[in-house]
Amino acid sequence: MNASIGAAIPRGDARPKVRGTARYAVDVELAGMGHARLLRSPVAAGRIVRLDLEAARRAPGVRAVAAASDMPSRLHGLVLRDQPAFASEVVRYEGEPIAAVVADTLAEAETAVGLIELEIEEWEPVVDLDYAISEQARLVHPDWESYQMLIEGGFPRGGNVVAELAADPDGVDAAFASAYRVVEDAFGADRQYQAYLEPKGALASYEDGRYTIHVSHQFPFAIRDRLAQVLDVGLGRIRVIGHHIGGGFGAKLDLGLEPYVAVLARLSGRPVKLVNHRTEDLITCPSRENALIRIRTAVSQKGEFLARELHCLLDSGAYAIDAPFLVSLPLLLANGAYRVGPTRVSARAVYTNTAPTGAFRGVSGTYLNFAVERHVDHIANELGLDRNELRRLNLLDDGDRLPNGQTLDDARSLHEAFDMLDDISTTKEVGSGGWRGVGTAATVWLTNPLPGSAILKLNEDGTLGVITAATENGSGAVAMGLRQIAAAQVDVLPDQVIISMPDTDSAPYDAGSQGSRTTHIVGRALVEAGEELRRQILSKAAQILEAAPEDLELSNGTVRVVGAPSSAIPLATVALKATADGASITATGSYATASPRYDPTCASGFLFPTFPTPTYHVHRAEVEVDPLLGTVTVLRYVVVQEVGKAINPQGVAGQIQGGVAQGLGYALWEGLQIGSDGRYRQRTFEAYRLPLAVDVPRVEIVLLENGHDEGPFGARGVAEPPVVPVAAAIANAVADAIGAPINRIPITPADILDAIETVNRHATA
Amino acid sequence: MNLTFALNGRTASVDVEAGETLLRTLRDRLSLTGAKEGCVEGECGACTVLLDGQPVDSCLLPSMSVARRSVTTVEGLGSVDTLHPVQAAMVDSGGVQCGFCTPGFIMVLVALLRENPDPTELEIRQAVSGNICRCTGYAQIVDAVIEKARGAM
Amino acid sequence: MEFISPASKDEALDVLGRLGPDATVLAGGTDVMVQYLRGEIAPGHLVYIGGLDALDGIAADGHEFSIGALTPHRRLATDPLVLDLLPAVSAAAATVGGWQTQAVGTIGGNVCNASPAADLAAPLLTADAMVNLESGRAKRSVRLADFLIGRRQTAREPDELVTGLSVTPRQGRTGDVYLKVGRRGAMEVALVGLSTRLMLDDSDRVEAVAIAVCSVAPVPYRASEAEEVLKGTRLEAEAIREAAAVLATSASPVSDFRADARYRTRVLGALLERALRMAAERAAA
Repeated sequence: MNASIGAAIPRGDARPKVRGTARYAVDVELAGMGHARLLRSPVAAGRIVRLDLEAARRAPGVRAVAAASDMPSRLHGLVLRDQPAFASEVVRYEGEPIAAVVADTLAEAETAVGLIELEIEEWEPVVDLDYAISEQARLVHPDWESYQMLIEGGFPRGGNVVAELAADPDGVDAAFASAYRVVEDAFGADRQYQAYLEPKGALASYEDGRYTIHVSHQFPFAIRDRLAQVLDVGLGRIRVIGHHIGGGFGAKLDLGLEPYVAVLARLSGRPVKLVNHRTEDLITCPSRENALIRIRTAVSQKGEFLARELHCLLDSGAYAIDAPFLVSLPLLLANGAYRVGPTRVSARAVYTNTAPTGAFRGVSGTYLNFAVERHVDHIANELGLDRNELRRLNLLDDGDRLPNGQTLDDARSLHEAFDMLDDISTTKEVGSGGWRGVGTAATVWLTNPLPGSAILKLNEDGTLGVITAATENGSGAVAMGLRQIAAAQVDVLPDQVIISMPDTDSAPYDAGSQGSRTTHIVGRALVEAGEELRRQILSKAAQILEAAPEDLELSNGTVRVVGAPSSAIPLATVALKATADGASITATGSYATASPRYDPTCASGFLFPTFPTPTYHVHRAEVEVDPLLGTVTVLRYVVVQEVGKAINPQGVAGQIQGGVAQGLGYALWEGLQIGSDGRYRQRTFEAYRLPLAVDVPRVEIVLLENGHDEGPFGARGVAEPPVVPVAAAIANAVADAIGAPINRIPITPADILDAIETVNRHATA
Repeated sequence: MNLTFALNGRTASVDVEAGETLLRTLRDRLSLTGAKEGCVEGECGACTVLLDGQPVDSCLLPSMSVARRSVTTVEGLGSVDTLHPVQAAMVDSGGVQCGFCTPGFIMVLVALLRENPDPTELEIRQAVSGNICRCTGYAQIVDAVIEKARGAM
Repeated sequence: MEFISPASKDEALDVLGRLGPDATVLAGGTDVMVQYLRGEIAPGHLVYIGGLDALDGIAADGHEFSIGALTPHRRLATDPLVLDLLPAVSAAAATVGGWQTQAVGTIGGNVCNASPAADLAAPLLTADAMVNLESGRAKRSVRLADFLIGRRQTAREPDELVTGLSVTPRQGRTGDVYLKVGRRGAMEVALVGLSTRLMLDDSDRVEAVAIAVCSVAPVPYRASEAEEVLKGTRLEAEAIREAAAVLATSASPVSDFRADARYRTRVLGALLERALRMAAERAAA
């Protein structure tokens, strides 16, 4: 295998980033641009009684003011058209945009927004999930029936239920009726804010009927498609240019501020820039949804999981965005990494008067894994079994099926992972003394299958150009993964690879940096493009060297006749000749993962039905609890992960360490609480506690590299899943330390003291 | 108001508004965009610059307060061809992911190594506790100092 | 808004005398600028005193320890003299924000900001700190306990400048401790902060004890009733339990997004016991 594969080569974009010269959307300036601010709803729910923009329009420096009447009247949406660009009659969440102003300066725009006269008749917001689906709840969308679904055949929904999944296989009730024991739990999880360091921003210009949008965004083609929908124009009317991305983690996959800069650019005839303040970013961000989960399992005396029921309510917030997809996850993840008999699942995404929730690395998997793995520990305690022996007894293996009927042919990686884990974690699990505890969690995850493509061109100096809309969100998937794959496939040095920034005008389609797909999918597209490029190179070189192509070899940037080193010519010679001959060397590759076979009748409302290119993960955490203060210190954290092939082990380690840190935050410190007024209680980085360097231990990492046939050089997806099992592993460790269950995340000091008190009460009773 | 101060080793003279922060002056008036705005609360450290050698959050620092003092931004370290040792260490260690927090971390680490050329891992972690990185989980940033930059300055 | 940078203390006093309540004094800016940029305050004038070197410095003179108002947290946290004689002040200063905040944030600012969670206030209260004020009219010194009169309210008159603090250093068999409860390892606003100064006699009896807490009332305060309970004891479990109960009764914490009142009250006793044990160990050392 080429030396570029499996090597810790520094990322291609590191130098401008350490020099502070890398440009992010917030750094971009367009000549003559104005600065925009939004008027956002100050309340979570209500009716707009009056909106008077006149004073703002007349304010100094103001170039344009936009509101609902400046937009097409049709609602927009990713899978359900339920959302207006500007609220006009009702507001449905705090922070919902109502109007936008662009002025010569930011200060003038701020002042003008302050002059807008807005009167809202405030309503009691719908906040509580159980209440939202009750008979007496006000409908967040009274007109829900009229909304257009963008999925063929639609999906089950109604009232405050945005989307619903239901699976009810035969045999559940019978298994429960005859079980040795039934174990039951209820869990809850708060929202988690992606908290990328670069707040959302966007710039737009408008000329000749075309909008040019500058973004730091994970999915430029989604901006093109969704903005075209919002503005009701053809796709060709929109060009999206991507810049360096200051973190996204899923929050920069769907539309953000782009509609507002676009309409203001058209109205003012001048470029427009808009950047969120941190607080407005935080309160309006499509955070990971809060959820409630009930789970019960019928078990045998030996500990087999005979049947299961899982019911999940997840908070979609004021609009649907991707929630109709997310309701599929409770089914796919109901059994975690374990074999379980027939499993009944219901999942409902619920409208509330809160910011719409959306994608965050690991999506719903984080809390579903937390529920399932806490439940496994509970079952072990009930049956008096060792927690890990119980896991291994039920662990998925080759040939086992996920609840959707999809057969796994590589789940033996889980067993290998447990073996490795037992080898390296020498900590004794029981009686480790004091207030220390150990917790384990495992999961199966997927590699996002959506299509990607890239163009390779051999430049006339022998460097290798890669033109792609794949985005480098920081993960290294482009700056390490694609760079090293392209270099290896054509056999040049990585520093000879030049990768374009995304531009929807010039790059072929790519489905964005999501679900660990970039290295796997676009890397695979590059493998195909590289093969074609090599064919063209060898064919042209054959002309020059007067040899047969099959007698040539291409390596390390030169072509030579096999066995005749002196015949070597550099790639530049080949490229120049090809270009001069009117046959410049370029090749395109495209790839999407074919859907695995599954049982489409296993559930209704099943829009996200499979786990393509599965990956396997086992995590173990060791914690210490301060029994007087209820605080938690993470002493040790171990990850064993099946990655197929680590294209760049340093990059893979960075993804795992970073994903675990986000998971620790989710488990222990983060969490957006929603007040009864529908407003978040945490509104700043002071209140929203992100993990710091003093809080996060160095993660011990073991990679399993059982290559994947379809992946480039065997690589599977890597970056998304390390966040998934963390809350579960930590909660199991804390529960182990205190001898009491932990059923809510984030785990607060007060919750820990309560749990300890409960145990003490039982002990003394 | 006119402000004169030493910026990256040269004298800078610029008109600023009363109450304007150094971050705005650097980014909007002097086109130095290496310092980033992450929160404007002194919580994230993305805007860190050195003031007379000490790391400060430029998002909360009134520009007028740096009159006649010395400010170093990330643009004042190294050169296009030769990175500062801390910058080079961050490249080599994998301490850079999205890169938005990176200039802020680098400024603090430069200050740390000037004060303490051989810090322990805990001292490194404590030094950067006013800096948030959402990508890396910090290990490879710490590695940049432990494995590469320690002793290189 | 006007930004004024007086060149000397006298000029600053003159400016404050002239502008009165229309002036907001600005030093490191780590509190004032946050409030200003959020629009929570709209001063007519920001009077920047950060450049007045005369107000910056630490001086120990026998039983008198003075700290200039502009002394930054970073210095308090690292200065050998402070570490030795006012270790709880050092410990508290080391927990105020990160390095960036500690580099410019000042002791005077921390005290004048009068946050219920002011980290420095608790150890300064246990060190019987006096706040030194000066105006064009007069100089005066006020006990810190009297200076902090409410949430974000102090006894400072609009024309007065806090020039520094006078504190009593540790001496003899004395142990100083500051403990802070937060969820992360740094950058936390105290959920509860507790400082104690414990002096033991030769037979390990409590000769004197000072206890102060923050984040459990609108202002940080000295828990004198709990102190009374402990005087003359040998810190027997029963005595500590009783002091903890008295302390808990004296607290009136709020519930907010950081922690609820019940939690704050609940950990207060545990924190007291832990602090006393540590202080006793240090005193005996």
